[in-house]
Amino acid sequence: MFNSGNNSPNGIPSSGGGAAGEFLWAVVAAPQNRTAVAVTALAGFAVFAIFYKAFRRRLKSPWSVRRPKPLTLQQWRRLFTADGIFRDGGTEFLKRVRSGGVDPSIRAEVWPFLLGVYDLNSSKKERDDIRNRNRKKYEELRRQCLQLLKCSDESLKLKESGETFSNGDDRGSESPDSDSSVDPQAVIQGSPSSEGQEENQPSKEKGTEPQSNEPATENFATWQRIIRVDAVRANAEWIPFSRSQALVTEDRALRAAKAVGLKDYDHLEPSRIFHAARLVKILEAYAIYDSEIGYCQGMSDLLSPIITVITADAEAFWCFVGFMKKARHNFRLDEVGIRRQLNIVSKIIKFKDLHLFKHLEKLQAEDCFFVYRMVVVMFRRELTFEQTMCLWEVMWADQAALRAGISTSAWSMISQRVPPTEDLLLYAIAASVLQRRKLIIQSYNSMEEILRECNSMAGQLDIWKLLDDAHELVMTLHDKIETAF
Amino acid sequence: MTGSSSKGGNNSYDYSFKILLIGDSGVGKSSILLSFISNSVHDLSPTVGVDFKIKMVNVGGKRLKLTIWDTAGQERFGTLMSSYYRGAHGIILVYDVTRRETFTNLSDIWAKEVELYSTNQDCIKVLIGNKVDKDSERAVSREEGMALAEEHKCSFLECSAKTRENVLQCFKELIVKILEVPSLLEKGPVIIKQQILKQKPGYQAPHNGGCCS
Repeated sequence: MFNSGNNSPNGIPSSGGGAAGEFLWAVVAAPQNRTAVAVTALAGFAVFAIFYKAFRRRLKSPWSVRRPKPLTLQQWRRLFTADGIFRDGGTEFLKRVRSGGVDPSIRAEVWPFLLGVYDLNSSKKERDDIRNRNRKKYEELRRQCLQLLKCSDESLKLKESGETFSNGDDRGSESPDSDSSVDPQAVIQGSPSSEGQEENQPSKEKGTEPQSNEPATENFATWQRIIRVDAVRANAEWIPFSRSQALVTEDRALRAAKAVGLKDYDHLEPSRIFHAARLVKILEAYAIYDSEIGYCQGMSDLLSPIITVITADAEAFWCFVGFMKKARHNFRLDEVGIRRQLNIVSKIIKFKDLHLFKHLEKLQAEDCFFVYRMVVVMFRRELTFEQTMCLWEVMWADQAALRAGISTSAWSMISQRVPPTEDLLLYAIAASVLQRRKLIIQSYNSMEEILRECNSMAGQLDIWKLLDDAHELVMTLHDKIETAF
Repeated sequence: MTGSSSKGGNNSYDYSFKILLIGDSGVGKSSILLSFISNSVHDLSPTVGVDFKIKMVNVGGKRLKLTIWDTAGQERFGTLMSSYYRGAHGIILVYDVTRRETFTNLSDIWAKEVELYSTNQDCIKVLIGNKVDKDSERAVSREEGMALAEEHKCSFLECSAKTRENVLQCFKELIVKILEVPSLLEKGPVIIKQQILKQKPGYQAPHNGGCCS
């Protein structure tokens, strides 16, 4: 990568190679000297070529091999002791996932580790306990959802019969049915956090988070409504990835839909009805669990791969909670999270390619708003289903390594010495833009044109190339970006 | 906001209009746009952020470039993107005739919308009730739609993105109105004016692009 220079087919200039580039020179020079005295000039050249190739491969990012090998079932099993504890605290595990993702056959087992549902130091026994506890907590959240659903149905009926309320505050207390006189807002605010969500409770940054009485326009009833509208519109890309759910019986699908009060699904096949019902169940539970975020469009995109891989609702829910710990900032009402990320993408581009950045400035597009969708749903709309899962796995492995305090020095192989970063996704996004630098500079004269290019990247990205480029950006810019705030 | 200048040929135009589609989640904004642009109808995922499509049309002997912005329905996406909505010549407000709340929400956001999106004082608005193909599930009557439109002094149409009934009409209605307002035509920046000057006298618009002609 570093030596490809401006000949790179995608036109990313490598001028920013810096320290990493010099390091490459030092390593490559050594074998050349040694071999030159031992063999003839010609043979020496051949040996050098082989050495050089081998070194280059080792020095390249873990993602520079086009089809890296995912973590397999056998490798996965070997990582554990008889008690089901990682032999090395999970370092080898994260290293492998980071360089090649996870084999589809073991995703359901592996993801809870990547998403922090299970601690990397936990034993099998501890995990069984956590799973049981989590299932109960999830069931409790579902009970509350059903109670609220009943409640909002009642208020809807009242509305339809002409008894309108002046605003949401009156709802519930005016309800004639004493059994369902639960105010959706009251339930959310009083709820389940009190019943010990300890470490799982999303972090609340005091002073920066909006207060929970946000614009009165969004409350649980609103979320319930939008969740249902979105669930039936979820695309069917997941179907080849879960045979059992793709073949669900019509009867089971309809029961699931009825249980959550799904509407407007007559045009869908049973598999999609079932998928929609599961989306509703988990998104609703999440809206109660994290009422600061509630539901925001785009969250269903993030959940869909999880419920495809993980068939038990409670487990899928807690994986989603793990995913959302970071992703929730994308959906904050005050938009702070999204602005911060757009700002980082902008900085990466500025440091890497000033020429491109100046062009963006000229078009008043330096805020990088055109990558908004990529940031919010984490490339889900630009990549295929399988590509998305691979990218996310690599990204989760980075985040898990940081959580577990596994530092760069613990990655034994030289090729792994890329600092894990919380923001790998943003480097990948910047890389996708940089890959199009020539086109943008030469042909695009407005923010709209760049937005259109970004919104139509679907099907055109090679994720390993993307990760390779992202890795190079991390290597050269990580320190600058981290300290630039 | 008039897009880039074009260098003659099929891309030249007399005016460039920016049009926004707004309304609740799931009312069919993206479907209406798709139906208008590509004559096709299929299921769409919820819109995240914004997207836009461009269509060239001929109306009243003028060649027009329409940049139609499709937005996410959920209000919380609004503030960050509102700057990209500015300077619209026309706004299409959409509700779903089978879901009453999408209709009432429209009147609620009306006041905010004016402040947020329409920096053009004379910006034209059209109220659209979508999904009339599901007549048996209708929850908002035609009369109610008309009344709301009258209250806000704008045109009103009902359509179906699915059957494409009235879809072209919605856009045509809007464009014809925009063309009647001199201030909206004057706002086109220099690029457009140059564009008009550049056009050769004998230029003829290709006939395949215009849906409204």
